[in-house]
Amino acid sequence: MNPFWSMSASSTRKKPETEEKALAGELKNSPPRSAPKKQLPSIPKNVMPMTKPASPALSAQSTNGTHASYGPFYLEYSLLAEFTLVVKQKLPGVYVQPSYQSALMWFGVIFIRHGLYQDGVFKFTVYIPDNYPDGDCPRLIFDLPIFHPLVDPVSGELDVKRAFAKWRRNHNHIWQILMYARRVFYKIDTSSPLNPESAVLYEKDIQLFKSKVVDSVKLCSSHLFDPPKIEDPYAISFSPWNPAIHNEVREKMLTQKKKGDDQQCKNMQVSGLSWVKPGSVQPFSKDDKTLPT
Amino acid sequence: MMSTGTSGKKSYQAVSLEGVDPETCMIVFKTHWAQVVKILEKHDPLKNIQAKYGTISPDEASTVQNYVEHMLFLLIEEQAKDAAMGPILEFVVTENIMEKLFLWSLRREFTDEMKIEQLKMYEMLVIQSHQQLLHHKPILKPLMMLLSSCSGTTTPAVEVELVVLLNQLCSILAKDPSILELFFHTSEDQGAANFLIFSLLIPFIHREGTVGQQARDALLFIMSLSSESCVVAQHIVENTYFCPVLATGLSGLYSSLPTKLEDKGEEWHCLLKDDCFLSPALVQFMNSFEFCNAVIQVAHSLIRNQLVNYIYNGFLVPVMAPALHKVTVEEVMATTAYLDLFLRSVSEPALLKIFLRFILLHCHENVHILDTLASRINTPFQLCVVSLALFKTLISLHCEDVMLQLVLRYLIPCNHIMFSQRWAVRERDWYSVSAAKLLALTPVCCSSGITLTFEKQQKDYILWKKKNLESDSTKEPSRKSIADSTCIVKYGETVDISYLQYLWDAQTLILHCMKDCEVWSAPYDGENPSPYTFIQTPAEEDGKNLDQPIFQLQCRTPSNHVSSQVTPLREKTQLELEWDDSYDTGISPGSDTGSPQHDVDFNTQPPAKPPKHIQEMKKNAIMLVKGSYIEESDFQDDVMVYRLCAEKDAQEADSLKGKPLIPEAKDVDNPDAISTNGPLKSPLPDLNLEEHNMKNLNLIQQAKDETQGSIDETTLQPNLEQTLSSSEGDHNTNMKLLSPDSEDFISECDNIIKELDSNPTGLIELKLLIPDSISPVEEEEDFENFSADTPSAESMPSPFGSKDAWPSNPARFQSIPFTGPFISVVLSKLENMLENSLHVNLLLIGIITHLASYPQPLLRSFLLNTNMVFQPSVRSLYQVLASIKNKIEQFASIEKDFPALLIQAQKYLLLRVDALDIPLESLNKDNGQQKSITGKVKNLSEASQALLQTYLGNKAKKSTVLPKVPLHISNAILAAALFPEFLKELAALAQEHSILSYRLLGDFEDYYPF
Repeated sequence: MNPFWSMSASSTRKKPETEEKALAGELKNSPPRSAPKKQLPSIPKNVMPMTKPASPALSAQSTNGTHASYGPFYLEYSLLAEFTLVVKQKLPGVYVQPSYQSALMWFGVIFIRHGLYQDGVFKFTVYIPDNYPDGDCPRLIFDLPIFHPLVDPVSGELDVKRAFAKWRRNHNHIWQILMYARRVFYKIDTSSPLNPESAVLYEKDIQLFKSKVVDSVKLCSSHLFDPPKIEDPYAISFSPWNPAIHNEVREKMLTQKKKGDDQQCKNMQVSGLSWVKPGSVQPFSKDDKTLPT
Repeated sequence: MMSTGTSGKKSYQAVSLEGVDPETCMIVFKTHWAQVVKILEKHDPLKNIQAKYGTISPDEASTVQNYVEHMLFLLIEEQAKDAAMGPILEFVVTENIMEKLFLWSLRREFTDEMKIEQLKMYEMLVIQSHQQLLHHKPILKPLMMLLSSCSGTTTPAVEVELVVLLNQLCSILAKDPSILELFFHTSEDQGAANFLIFSLLIPFIHREGTVGQQARDALLFIMSLSSESCVVAQHIVENTYFCPVLATGLSGLYSSLPTKLEDKGEEWHCLLKDDCFLSPALVQFMNSFEFCNAVIQVAHSLIRNQLVNYIYNGFLVPVMAPALHKVTVEEVMATTAYLDLFLRSVSEPALLKIFLRFILLHCHENVHILDTLASRINTPFQLCVVSLALFKTLISLHCEDVMLQLVLRYLIPCNHIMFSQRWAVRERDWYSVSAAKLLALTPVCCSSGITLTFEKQQKDYILWKKKNLESDSTKEPSRKSIADSTCIVKYGETVDISYLQYLWDAQTLILHCMKDCEVWSAPYDGENPSPYTFIQTPAEEDGKNLDQPIFQLQCRTPSNHVSSQVTPLREKTQLELEWDDSYDTGISPGSDTGSPQHDVDFNTQPPAKPPKHIQEMKKNAIMLVKGSYIEESDFQDDVMVYRLCAEKDAQEADSLKGKPLIPEAKDVDNPDAISTNGPLKSPLPDLNLEEHNMKNLNLIQQAKDETQGSIDETTLQPNLEQTLSSSEGDHNTNMKLLSPDSEDFISECDNIIKELDSNPTGLIELKLLIPDSISPVEEEEDFENFSADTPSAESMPSPFGSKDAWPSNPARFQSIPFTGPFISVVLSKLENMLENSLHVNLLLIGIITHLASYPQPLLRSFLLNTNMVFQPSVRSLYQVLASIKNKIEQFASIEKDFPALLIQAQKYLLLRVDALDIPLESLNKDNGQQKSITGKVKNLSEASQALLQTYLGNKAKKSTVLPKVPLHISNAILAAALFPEFLKELAALAQEHSILSYRLLGDFEDYYPF
């Protein structure tokens, strides 16, 4: 197994973040659960924590009702597609990882780099309804209730609904929720707040608001090394910097990219066949010199 | 010195000279030499006048021989310190001993035995000596003289020794290229033949057995040497016959290959490497061919280019091209199978390139080889199977040029898609909608009663590849599905476990393909290349393109005969015909009347149409080609064909009488048809052409019918009789138009039968009133079947099988939506799934799944996006599948025993899968021998071929398939059993595409399983 699968997803993101990550400690990796994510292991296993009898939406999708058995596959692939989109978006400072137990539960963490919430490291969990994409908007709940107008002071749930009143398939994607979750920390919205106190403070007494935010950020940081809220092999956990473990890993992360490039070049030479000149649609239009050998 | 080497060697080797004083050795050597010299001088005519007349006594000869043996031994054993020569060697060099000895043997009768002895002597010296003897001219020179004296030799015994020695010399050369120069210089002394050892090897290139192998190995040493040394490369290219001998030798060897392959049963479809060993001629050819491949791999680019050109112009064009157009089906089949084997054996891109270039661009008698090959997919004979196998090989190469010619160039203009839908090409299927739609095509009759829930689920995990069902399947056959098993994934829900396997395979296939496609020039996503790119016909480009296979041989190569081959290539003119881009897409009724969008489309999209005069030329060319193609075409020798011809004539006569009834029915039901079909799109000359085509077609059709038994005929005749009587009046007007167009007849009959069998009052789709020899009937029929989004009910499967027997229609324009001849012929063949034999279906499925694994959005959206709206005249895979589904359901409703038969068929297919397990392992072993990644890839395809072969070729079990069931029923049942699996495969591909299509290039390393 590639111990870096979570990394390989993130290695495509902006470099600076590796620092943060190194600083915050390595994203803990799961037990050696073999195979790159695509071996389809996680889904069918106990699928989804909120297991209910097959959702109406799914059986509706399986036309004629004769093929209900493929429902889980469609769901799995819808979620995988969402995940690949998230990876592709490269949202700065946002990391997610589907849980081991269920593809419907994603663990995540947001690093805030500037603004009022600077230095904030907020862990969260995304819950996706099991009739996705035809159900409600996925929910995003922070592990700790952050002091923020749009975060429920008790449950820590972010008010996602305001941005995605109705979840529309094809138009709405999970990365949008993640982007939204990141944005609320940079651009504060106080209308119809879940945490009225913070909204009022933001409007009336920005200094107090700021100091409360600082407290909240500190609180989160002080709980950073706590064991994950939900016990799951793929849950994101932080550990203090340990040079013995992390230096090497960090080194690998920083060099992996280059190595990959080399390898790619090498492979380019040996596999794949094309003699079409770029821009041409004629076979064998390429100059002989550039022939891949 | 006669019997020296061998006898003496052993005893000497036992003795060790270690510790013996070198000076003593030297003294011994010198005294021996003194004795020898005495005898030599006695017989030297320069020093002794009587020597001329005196014969050499046997005593003297053996004395010399004994001394020489000792001397050689001392020389071999001498260990020199530092770089200096040992004293003995120095003595040998200064005294020029070796040359004197050679002259001595020349003076006597220089028999073969003596040559052998001398060769052996040098071999021993070269191999065993502790010092580098070849650096010294006085040793090298006599060696060269010896070699050149052997050059004309014919005795096999001498050849054996000669090649062994040459091989040794070459291996030494390869290790120590510094000697190379010496070899050249020494040769210069000899005059013409420089680099003698190389020239001496050339005659053995194509030799069979060890001699040939050793010679080829030796040449490879030199080839790899040439990659470093431009001088060697240049010498070989300019001054030797190496490349021409190699390439034209292929032609020679090819001609001795069996022109007909032994009958291996109808399930046979391609030659495997193992099959080669059955035919010594093929072994020999493959040896030489693989040698070419190896040379191209290691040699200098000068040599590589020259060789590649010679192979193209000296083998492919003059030999393979005509062979692919031989007279009898068997010969053509054999050639196709050989070509397929060659393609699978090549690992070097440069060599593969000319093979592909040959297939894609070369025109034989103005027809592209590719088109000829594709047209054979629709033949009824085994030829179809072999051709399918060849295309499978081509597609699995993942070569851009192949895919461009075969499929993509027809998709690039996006004509096949509704204009408003073009944005959707790149669209990604987020929620597996296409997969769901594909799986929903599973006929109800195939999914009921055989789904199995796996009771004991192993923990929570899905059971991957758990094949513990052998016992189960025998115990509870009634509950066994074709799949390995199913299991409970989630409480209350069952999942088809085989689908997991399909997903896994799909991922592997797609990733593999994506990786190979990284080097492609464009993404083919509907934007790049732009839909407005002007796509020239490749033939027009031909002359320009062919600058590669041009001769650069300046010197005294005997290339005249070969280089003359160049001219026909370059002469290629616009005559090139486009009979392919024109035939699938008749104007269907709806396209003109129903969709204004379509018309708009036409206007906004300038058709990539060549100028008129070129079209005219093309037409003429086609006529020419068609004429000749058919006259001496594939079926000439078949007794059957003669019979069929007779039958055809009879039927044709009938058809004339049979027609009149039909227009009435048509008018009632399909008033549009007349107006839409009305315009006469083709100028008259085409009729001629059509006729030719149709003739060809008919042969095929009827041959096919023949195989289906005579049932059709018996049903046909009465039907015709019935229609006969009605209106004589129309008869005359129609006759003229119809007689040439016999395909219409076929389809009419078809329709009549359908009509009478299934739908007595329904419409009959014929166009009798219209002088329409252009758009084949099937187009309309197809449209009728598919134009609706939901599959419409299809009438009885045609007893005539597919009607799209590759008709060509030059009058159609490229602007008409058309997905290319290959796609349409494959789809139309697929549509007849129920009539096809199992192995044809397996190959078709293999081809389509392979096509569907390509990541290019144009291809992916065409094959797998079920939401795409295509132009009405374009048949999509989904529509074809829907039609098959209907056919299966219809068949199931007619066939009383369907459920039981289906289970039987499924069990049979399962058994065959099991039978595959062993051969697969043995194939995997071969993987180790592969060197490069391309080799690996190649091997994969080879493996899959083998797999399929085994899958198909399991004759023992075949006999147990559905006993007591007529062939056509068993074909249909097997197709019904295959169909749901095919759908799963496609759905799995669609699902995997939805996740993989956005994968970034850099990510490959993490996931790529190879």
